[in-house]
Parts: sequence; C-alpha cells; structure tokens
Amino acid sequence: MRYRRPLLALTALATLAACGGGADAANDGDGGNPVKGGTLRIAFWDDAQGCIDPNQVYWIESRSLNRQFADSLTDQDPETGKIVPWLAESWEVNDDATSYTFKLRDDVTFSDGTKFDAAAVKTAYDATHALGAKSLLGLTYTAGYKSTEVVDDYTVKVDFDQPNSAFLQASSTTTLAILSPETYRQTPEERCTGDNLVGTGAFTLDSYTAATEAKLSRRDGYAWPSELIENQGDAYLDAIEVSYIKEDSVRVGSLTSGAIDIAWPRLPISEADQKVIEATGAGIESRSLPGISSSYFPNVGAGKPLADVKVRQALQKSIDRKSYASTVFWDGYPVVSGPFDNTTPYATDSSGVLAYDPEGAKALLDEAGWTAGADGYRAKDGEPLTLTIPAQNTTPGDQLVQDQLKQVGIKVELNVLTLAQYQAAAADGDYDLLATYYTRADPSVLGSVLDSGVSQAGTAQLSQDPATKKEISGLFAEGLQDVAEDKRAGTYADLQKLILEQGVMFPLYERVQTAGVASKVHGFAWTSEAFLRANDIWISQ
Amino acid sequence: MSVDLAPELGTRVVPEVAAGQRSPRRLGLLTARPGLILALLFVGFVLVSAVVPGWFTRYDPNATAGPDKLLAPSAEHWFGTDELGRDLFSRVLHGSTLTIQATLGAIVIAVVVGLTLGVVSGFFGGWPDSVLMRVVDVLLAIPRLLLALTIVTALGFGTLPIAVAVGVGIVPGFARITRARVLSIKALPYIEAARTGGASWTRVLVRHILPNSWGPVLVLAVLDFGVAILAISALSFLGFGAAPPAAEWGTLISQGRSYLITSPWLTLLPGLFVGLTVFSLNHISRSLEELQR
Repeated sequence: MRYRRPLLALTALATLAACGGGADAANDGDGGNPVKGGTLRIAFWDDAQGCIDPNQVYWIESRSLNRQFADSLTDQDPETGKIVPWLAESWEVNDDATSYTFKLRDDVTFSDGTKFDAAAVKTAYDATHALGAKSLLGLTYTAGYKSTEVVDDYTVKVDFDQPNSAFLQASSTTTLAILSPETYRQTPEERCTGDNLVGTGAFTLDSYTAATEAKLSRRDGYAWPSELIENQGDAYLDAIEVSYIKEDSVRVGSLTSGAIDIAWPRLPISEADQKVIEATGAGIESRSLPGISSSYFPNVGAGKPLADVKVRQALQKSIDRKSYASTVFWDGYPVVSGPFDNTTPYATDSSGVLAYDPEGAKALLDEAGWTAGADGYRAKDGEPLTLTIPAQNTTPGDQLVQDQLKQVGIKVELNVLTLAQYQAAAADGDYDLLATYYTRADPSVLGSVLDSGVSQAGTAQLSQDPATKKEISGLFAEGLQDVAEDKRAGTYADLQKLILEQGVMFPLYERVQTAGVASKVHGFAWTSEAFLRANDIWISQ
Repeated sequence: MSVDLAPELGTRVVPEVAAGQRSPRRLGLLTARPGLILALLFVGFVLVSAVVPGWFTRYDPNATAGPDKLLAPSAEHWFGTDELGRDLFSRVLHGSTLTIQATLGAIVIAVVVGLTLGVVSGFFGGWPDSVLMRVVDVLLAIPRLLLALTIVTALGFGTLPIAVAVGVGIVPGFARITRARVLSIKALPYIEAARTGGASWTRVLVRHILPNSWGPVLVLAVLDFGVAILAISALSFLGFGAAPPAAEWGTLISQGRSYLITSPWLTLLPGLFVGLTVFSLNHISRSLEELQR
C-alpha cells in the first residue's frame, strides 16, 4: 500500500482544514546533504497559451516556470496562507485597502545587472496594469489600480481608486512578478516569446519555444529568497529543461525509464499510473491547487432549463461528488466541499449543500413541472430536460456526471467541439453548463469568473439572474474592501453560501496538482499556489 | 493503421467460367474451407449483435459503477470493466451498432457513387471518361486518412460525417474497377449481338453491362468493408466519433490506452475484436474472389 501514502497525507491535511503540503514528504531527509550540479528535466502536458511572460500568463504550467526566474515583492506561506517578505522587506496597508506602501530590499539585482529599485517596481506594475485584458489574471489582481508612486529609491506606494484588499496576496503571485525595466521596452507580444525576459530569480530563462521546450539555467550570486526557502543562496541545480508530452502514458513511461525527472500533468496522475511510478522507486507529490474548484457554470438565459432556480438546485443535489472523487480519481481523493479548493484562504466547508440527494432532486424537478417520461428522462410541455455541455475532449468524469444526472432524469449532451467552435459557443452562450476554473490563493479570484460588474465573460454575464448579479457583485466588492481578516472571512462565507444555494456554480471536483518525482530528486517543494519551487531541489549524483 | 490497399491489383480480370460447373464446386469449396465458415459465423455474429446487442449482453453500456472500475475479464464481465465500471463487452457490442452503421453508410456511398462514375466513364468514353478519371486520379493521390480527416473537420463530428468522409475516400477504387469491367464487357460479342438485334444503349447498359460488372464490385465491397471499419475506427480513435457516452470501437481503444500497462484488456480486447472482424471480412472477400474463378 506504499503508493497511498502521499494521498493519505493529503486527506489528513484536508481534515485538518490546513493549507498543507508545503515541504516535500517523500524525498526529504533520506538523501543526505544537498550537492550542487545536475539538470532537472521536467515534462508538462501541454502549453495551450504559448506565452511565458509572467505578467500575462494564466497557464498553470507556465507559472511554475515563471516562479523560477521572476521574483515578487512578497511570498505566501503554503502552510498558513500568510504573506511574508521577499523583495519587499516590509509593507503598510491603509485602513480602507486603497494604498499599499512597500519598503524594498536594497541588495537585489536583475540578471542583466540592473539594480532592483522603486522605479523598477513602478515600471513593472504600470506595465502589468496597462496589459488590460491581455492579462486575464492581472485584470482582477490590479482591479482599481490608480498609480504607483516612487517615494524614495527603495520605497513604493501603490494606490487604488477603490479598495483592493486582495492586493497584498496578489503581490506574491507570479502575475505581479517584477521584471527588469529593460524588459518592458518590448511589446507584450515580444515579451510572450520569452526572448528577453529578465527577472531577479534564482534561474534565468535561456530559451522558450511555445509548447515545445524551455531551458533555464542557474543564476550565480542569488541571495534574496524569501524566508520560506531553506536554501538561502544559489540554487543547487545547474539547469532546468522542460519538455511537453501530451500523452499520459508516454509521460509516465519517460519518468519510469529515467528520460525525465519530474512528470507534471494537469489532471491528477491516475491511480494505475501512480502504481507504475511508485514501483520504480519514484514518488508522487500532491497539493490541492488553491482557487476555484473544477466546476460547471450555468446559462440561466430565458428559455433555458436552468433559468429555473429549482432546476439548478436539483442539479446541485444530483451530482454525486463522493463517487466522482473515488471513481475518476481514487479512494481517499479529497471530495470537493465548496466553490473553492480547500487550500484557498477563506474557503468554507459547504458539504451539506453539495450532498448527493437524488430523491430531493427528483422532488424539486417534479415541483418545477419536469415530469419523468417513459424513457427515464424528464420533460415539460413536450420539451425534454436536456443540458448541453460543450467540451473539447470529454473525460471519463464528464461521462460519469452524464450518467449520474440520468439517474434523476436529466439528459446531458456532451458536445465535442474544436477549439474555435468551443470558444464561439462559450462566447455566444450556446450552452447550458460550461466548465472552468482558475488558480489563485485568494477567494477574490472567483470574481474573474462570476462578478458581472468586472468580467464580461459568459460565465459572469449568463450565470445569474439580475437580482443575484447585483447581490454577488456587491459581495465581491465588499470582499475587496474588508481589511480585517474576520470581516473578509464573513463576506466570503456569505458569498459562497449564496452562490451554492442559488445554483450559480456546480462544483465537481477538488483540483489536486500531482507530480511524479524520480527518486534521485530531493528537496521538491510547492509554492502556495501549488507551482514548483526549485530553489531547494538537488539531484543525487 | 494502413487503409491504403490497392484493391485493383488483386481483382482485375475475372476469367469466364462455364456456368454449369459452378454450383457443385461452390458447395464443395465451402465445406473444404472451415476458415471461411468461421469467418462467416463471426461476421454474422458481429452483424446480428450490431442490430440487437441486447441478445448477447444484459449490461447497459453506459451504466457506471464506481466500485467495479477496471475489473479484469471474468465470467461476470467477459471483457472486464472500464475506468468508470462500465461493462466493456456490452460497450463493444453497442459500439458495433455505430461502427457498422457508419461502415455500411460509407460502403453504400462508395458503391453507388463509384459504380455510377465507373459505368458512365467506361460506357461513354471520350471526354466524360477523361474528366472523371482525372478527378479519380486526384482523389487517389490524396492519402485516404488525410482526406477523411479534412472532410470530417469540415462536416463536424458524429457517425454520419465519418461515414461520408470514409465513403468519399473509397469511391475512386470502385470507380476504377467498374470502369475497367465495363470497358472489357463493352467489347464482347454479345453486346454487339444485342446492339445488332436492335436493343437501345440504355437497355444494353441496364440488361447486359451492369449485371455483368457486379462481381468484382461485390468482392471489392466486402474487402472495403474491412478497410472502412479500420478507417472509421481510426477516426473515432482520434476523437471524431459519435458524441459520448456512445462509443465506437476506435473510441474504446483510444480510451483504454492510458491503462495499457495496468489494465491492458481495455485496449487489447476491443482491438482484437476489430482485428478479427476485418480479418474475417478479408478472408471472405478473398474466398469470394476465388469462388468466382
């Protein structure tokens, strides 16, 4: 049963409601003293965005690379969610969260030799905000951004038009990483190619070819990691080489044959593959990705079946999330318990509302006038109860949900589309349910999907009736105004309750990042947002 | 998965045999060929199970059962269960329905269009012949799978688009064979006799040429049935097949490939099923060809 160990650890963390899993469990301690040298070969699954500029990237895997060559003002503790100093030594936030003053370290340089100072931060933040919709994440991270003011060489003041209490966490993300002022002379498109991206990180980006490969090498003289990193000096690795392998079995095979050192897929490594990996002595690392749990978002437009709140509530009760977790993933896989994954600060446990209750769902559907027909599916006035879900490729999980909803009489049509068709369907609201998620260790991230006041996305504009829209927008705004921890917690608790009761989103499963790590790799660590932290990694020779 | 057979080569000329000798020889050949009987039985089983899969399995092909996932083949589940606990044998049989439908669709398209093109160009000759045959040349020059992929991307996903895509790909073979046949028959004395006797060209075409061109086309149809199954499976393997949860054979093979090391039956058994079906069809078509001699 050796292969279950990290999973059990994960379950335990979930039970403790801790934000756990920071340091590596499998490979620590038994490797002796760290040695310098060696190349770490990582294989990701894909790179659909094809951009490596930290300020523009939303693609999870690219953010793992961003973290290696670009540092941020602050860092976030994966265990507690607490923000700690990094390139900023200290900071002050005013009472209504409209002004942040950061005192910067004075011993930091970019890898091109430029000094890191207040002017560099101003250039970076102004440029990131100027990206606008080009940076899906930056758009909400810098919501209400007014200006950055250079107070003195090593002090900056970031001002907002409206409160943004999530900004301190945002300052720890790769999205608000600080690049060299020289870098921002290029256009956003040029920055995407990664040709001249210069950061202050422990590695430098040597080359990047979208969806093909990336090469990073160690930067000598690195001396400013955050306190969360054990190794306070140069990284141990000489270089990091990244390849992209789409086929699960090939990626796993590459790991077990020793062609790569870390296999890093998007969906959790299957139970079967974990057995194969562990049989070669390699380990499995895992951590729940903070942010929005993998969910469906409804289209409540007039004439759509989900316009009726009773149908949405019935749908909420018809999904058997426990069985989803144990079937699609494995026994002991954390069951989703709310709109957020459990490593997200302020996530509440809403298992009650999300409990599987097919009888309750049937009763609600009867009340709503959808009666069961001879073929087992429900209909009203001759119209069958059919929900269309567009997808680019269907996973076993989609088909499981399809079968679960069939049990209560809801017919699900999985509409397999090409990328272009899919984007058109999502934009035109040509769907009943749309799946999406985002990763950020702050609950305000849900605003980019659901806040109709901020986002023009279909998931925000189509998922709520006007009254609910107003209420939800209000709560998101309030969440960004609250500076006091407990007040913020209260606001987000109300928001989560409202969202689930109104059926504005249908959480499906907890997203867990897993990585297969070869036995010769030591010191593996996660960032708070479940990205790779390579400073402590070393390879036994 | 090669679908580029050169069907013309094996079946070009069918020597005429005196009609009276045929029947007893056919029966004798059939009993002397246990392989052919097995092949016929298997193809018969596949066809019947495609029409009424419920006769052979009591499992719902789409009913998931989490606790029973990835079970190895057993008396209870002949082909084991997939990653959602669905009975794989039932899914293969229900998958037959879709695959056979698509294949039949493709073959019907190919036979009707191919026969028409072949007869027209062989019978009329001249510029219609030149134009049609150059079109056929172009179609033959494009790899079938690529052609099918292009068509299916344009038409959208699903069973019917796949049938059209594959059907268009095998039209040229039929057109060529039919044309060659028509050309050789057209020169035979009985056609001349019919014309001299006052029969119109239409009558000659319908009464004499068409019935005598069937033979090779029928053999090719059986042979191409196997080719079409492979092509359709290839397309559904690549994800262009019927909407989920329905599963064509190729989809089943594709879905199981992540479990090739730990649960090999998920890919191997549907793969074996497809392989046996195509092998049987090839065997039948080869025997038909020999029987015609």
